[in-house]
Amino acid sequence: MTANNFKKVLVPLDGSTYSEKALKRACEFVDAFNSEIILIYVIEKSIPINLLDRKEYLEILRKFGTKVLDKSKTDLSKKGMSAKIFLKEGNIVNEIEKLAKKEKCDLIVVGNKGLGSVARFLLGSVSNKISQSSSCSVLIVK
Amino acid sequence: MAVKTKKILVPLDGSKNSLRGLDMAIHLARQSQGTITALAVKSVPGIYAIHPLGFLDFSSMTEVKKLLADAKLRAAKKGIMLTGKAIAGDPGYDIARFANNSKNRIDLVVIGARGRSAAKEIFLGSVSNYVLHKSKKPVLVVK
Repeated sequence: MTANNFKKVLVPLDGSTYSEKALKRACEFVDAFNSEIILIYVIEKSIPINLLDRKEYLEILRKFGTKVLDKSKTDLSKKGMSAKIFLKEGNIVNEIEKLAKKEKCDLIVVGNKGLGSVARFLLGSVSNKISQSSSCSVLIVK
Repeated sequence: MAVKTKKILVPLDGSKNSLRGLDMAIHLARQSQGTITALAVKSVPGIYAIHPLGFLDFSSMTEVKKLLADAKLRAAKKGIMLTGKAIAGDPGYDIARFANNSKNRIDLVVIGARGRSAAKEIFLGSVSNYVLHKSKKPVLVVK
């Protein structure tokens, strides 16, 4: 058997309740396997936004992202866990995968739905893409 | 708050990937003192399912049973209890139905990323994809 002990767990966040659930689940893994937790928030840049509002819009997203990350980090530190946090900009799936490769993560924990508007009732589009194309194991929290 | 994974469902089809899934499930079960339910689905085309004699395909049912026996041995070596179950039907549909059935009390589904179904997708197997979408329980995709 491969000695896969889930040393590093990557949790993408988007501020939705599902991502909070995913984080809770990831905490259990950290408890059980003494693994390291990495949080990421990706600012979506690929969606076409009105050029005039673009800067302002991205600024709001940036603020929101740091808020989400900080909140999760304090939540984790209350439980006595430390976490690395990343704030990235670009295409959501690409950035998550890049980071997973760079940090050599063993597991990605995602919620099954996010804030995306298209595929709201089944699996979220981002979680779907991650599960299709990522190189490491994926846990989909329902 | 803490959701413990007491019962883990592992669909098996005899491929290397499903064995990797089993190994991972054993690993997880050791951590949480859980039990594993192995599910081997013999693929039966819909038309045979209507016909009562369709299930009398003894030769391949033994293959499925052998698969479960192997899995049991593998788990027993690590000290994990494994209950096997053999079903005939459509793999994706039956796995999802088994996982969603509240009687079975499944906490987690561990599935290999690719199996051995004929229409292989480039990235994710068709059955894994189906289960991923249809299951109401958390799914761990092992690569």
